[in-house]
Amino acid sequence: MSLRLAGLGWVTPFGSSLDEVWARLLAGETAEPSPVHSSLGGRRDRSVFAVPSAALAEAARQPRLRRASAISRFAIVAGLEALRNAGIALDEASAARTALIFAISNGGVIYTKRFYHEIVQSGAGAASPLLFPETVFNAPASHLAAILGITGASYTLVGDGAVGILGLQMAEDLMANLGLDRCLVVGAEEADWLLCDAYRKWRLLRSEPPIEPFAQSPRGMILSEGAGAVLLAREGEVLLERVHPGGNFVRQSDLVRQLDTIATEMPNEPAADVWIASANGTFIDEAERSVAARHFPAAAVYTAKPALGESVAAGAIWQVICAAHALRRQELPPLLHAPANLGLTIARSPGEKRWERAVVTTCGLNQQVAALRLSRPS
Amino acid sequence: MVNVWEMGGEANHPRKAARVAVVAAGVVSPLGAGLGPTLAALREARDCVSPMTRFPIEQCRCSTAGQVADEWLTPFLPNDRKTRRLHRASHMMIAALAELLEQAPAFRPELMVVGTTSGGMSFGEQYYRVLQEPGARTTGTPGWIANYPPQKPAADALEAFGLTSPCQVIANACASGTNAIGHAFECIRSGRYNRVLTGGYDAISELVFVGFDSLQAATPEKCRPFDGARSGLVLGEGAALLALENLESAEARGAPILAEIAGYGISTDNHHLTQPHPSGSGPRQAMERALQSAGLAPEAIDYVNAHGTATPFNDAAEGKAIAELLGRVPVSSTKGMMGHSLGAAGAIEAVLTILALRAGFLPANINFRVSDLGLDLDIVANKVRPTKATTALSNSFGFGGTNASIVIQARAP
Repeated sequence: MSLRLAGLGWVTPFGSSLDEVWARLLAGETAEPSPVHSSLGGRRDRSVFAVPSAALAEAARQPRLRRASAISRFAIVAGLEALRNAGIALDEASAARTALIFAISNGGVIYTKRFYHEIVQSGAGAASPLLFPETVFNAPASHLAAILGITGASYTLVGDGAVGILGLQMAEDLMANLGLDRCLVVGAEEADWLLCDAYRKWRLLRSEPPIEPFAQSPRGMILSEGAGAVLLAREGEVLLERVHPGGNFVRQSDLVRQLDTIATEMPNEPAADVWIASANGTFIDEAERSVAARHFPAAAVYTAKPALGESVAAGAIWQVICAAHALRRQELPPLLHAPANLGLTIARSPGEKRWERAVVTTCGLNQQVAALRLSRPS
Repeated sequence: MVNVWEMGGEANHPRKAARVAVVAAGVVSPLGAGLGPTLAALREARDCVSPMTRFPIEQCRCSTAGQVADEWLTPFLPNDRKTRRLHRASHMMIAALAELLEQAPAFRPELMVVGTTSGGMSFGEQYYRVLQEPGARTTGTPGWIANYPPQKPAADALEAFGLTSPCQVIANACASGTNAIGHAFECIRSGRYNRVLTGGYDAISELVFVGFDSLQAATPEKCRPFDGARSGLVLGEGAALLALENLESAEARGAPILAEIAGYGISTDNHHLTQPHPSGSGPRQAMERALQSAGLAPEAIDYVNAHGTATPFNDAAEGKAIAELLGRVPVSSTKGMMGHSLGAAGAIEAVLTILALRAGFLPANINFRVSDLGLDLDIVANKVRPTKATTALSNSFGFGGTNASIVIQARAP
């Protein structure tokens, strides 16, 4: 099957315009950290990279989203952008031939926390029936399907940082059905103090930027929020050559073995020109670096996480968008805050030969790992 | 409406569509742990709903649930520290997989597709309760965080048996389990996979219990699906797994075939986040698409295992859809016996349907008293009904307007 990336969209701490966000990445900018408060009192604020409210103007116009979570708003804006980028306006007939896959990791944590807080503080009798439906994992997908008029397949997938790639794998499976013309894959997350606290507990979070990818001593990540959307279709500029759904790693030491397996099973012929890593300043960086050094040493490496933060399910889709951009535009942003002696290829544009193939690897912090390969033959 | 979603229909696949066999299964539900105890409870039409004991519920209208006793799971679990730290949902999944692999020890899935709604939610609740205590220095154990993510019980089950397949965890609310089976079916039917492990899991948590109570969707009385005086659901919990395999390859190796999954339909009803369209159009589309996918006429369906939550809106919409599409076919909801186990429900109910049809009876719809005047349905009321039927539809519908139906064709033992 040859599926194509026909449209891209994202909502990031840099905003939601496909071109403007890419331009800021190219300029080497880093998102501004914002404090998030615990709401429990007496707890230290944490820093996250938040989405500016101006990026969500399109969501504010949707009556269906009046009470919806931030995550739903991010998803709507990214999804609509991907459709526009593909030049597609869904009508009843085309929506019936469109599937939706929503990838998510932490879910609507802000409403979930609020709902449970009411139970803990005031008892079950105080729990709000308005909040509870928005805590359900598939609420954002439901809003997006309703706004787009999708009446067929709509799936919400849960997982960790690799769930966006697993969503693309599921899209491949769905598109084996020729009754479908396209599949919109969306990843989204919202940032909250509670998540920061949990990641900090696992020593994966650092208190302030920068995120330093591939550092010898990993110092942790900064959480961020937003959404990414990829419209898969049978026509389009960039070919989805192969998705490798990987598997689970039980111990951190298994991660290298798992990545090695993926790299071995996903043939690197012709060799990848670009590698978009999930390196985020944690233990996964060294595993990715060592495997890339063996399997695709000539590929120009990039990770957007120092600039945009770690946004889990959304982050995986941002990686795919960065890979597609690199192939479409033949350019990469600078790799920020990485050590000089990385032992990998650093390049912002091709040399003599055009970039035609890109590899994306995603390693979740809770056991999942997956990868994919894109191409844009000249 | 353009009707192009003939999911799995041969015309929509580039090669001849494969048939899909169920070669093994495992189940844990309020009816019991294991296929044997479950079949016994099902045959007796046993009411397995009991007073809620896991957390305080004084302020809730509803005070009962279908619950899985921890001691039922002990025989299936390794007695080690690591396993003890896992969430109950993981324990249920490990128990279900242990039973499945006992029947099919060589089953090595290329893919796992399972459904859930909240995974290890109660660990998240514990974490938050400790965190919000004034002056609390600790923020709970790292184990709570590590084992809280909804996908973790699926990964734990794979790890417990040394399986390494990639895993897709679907969270389509209460339709998750049926969506998972349906998607797994499609994966084999399309020829992309030969063996897929599928099913669903969920463990009761306070947040979800209170959530349904706050919506007044949970009943303070008995759960009475399709009864004229039904007043809501009771929650349940459990896990069920099915080993799906390309029928041709399963037969070639002489594997016992429990059933075939013959069709799958999915639809999205955009009416409301928590309520189906009163016309029943969403459920009806899902059932129609499942029939199309199976290449069957409505008359071929012998029995419907209904979603049947016993909420006024769900049963009205589903009942209308069944009556309009299938006429007076025997219908029962098994949720009166065991509660609504959310992401596990579709998988458990698929296993119950296979068990009952292979044993020659239709499961009972218990706590049924009077027909809803608006619904002309042949309810299998209160007692099991002997049958020679083989072909069933199993329905699951969820928040977010997600609707799923699968066609099951049971094989005689």
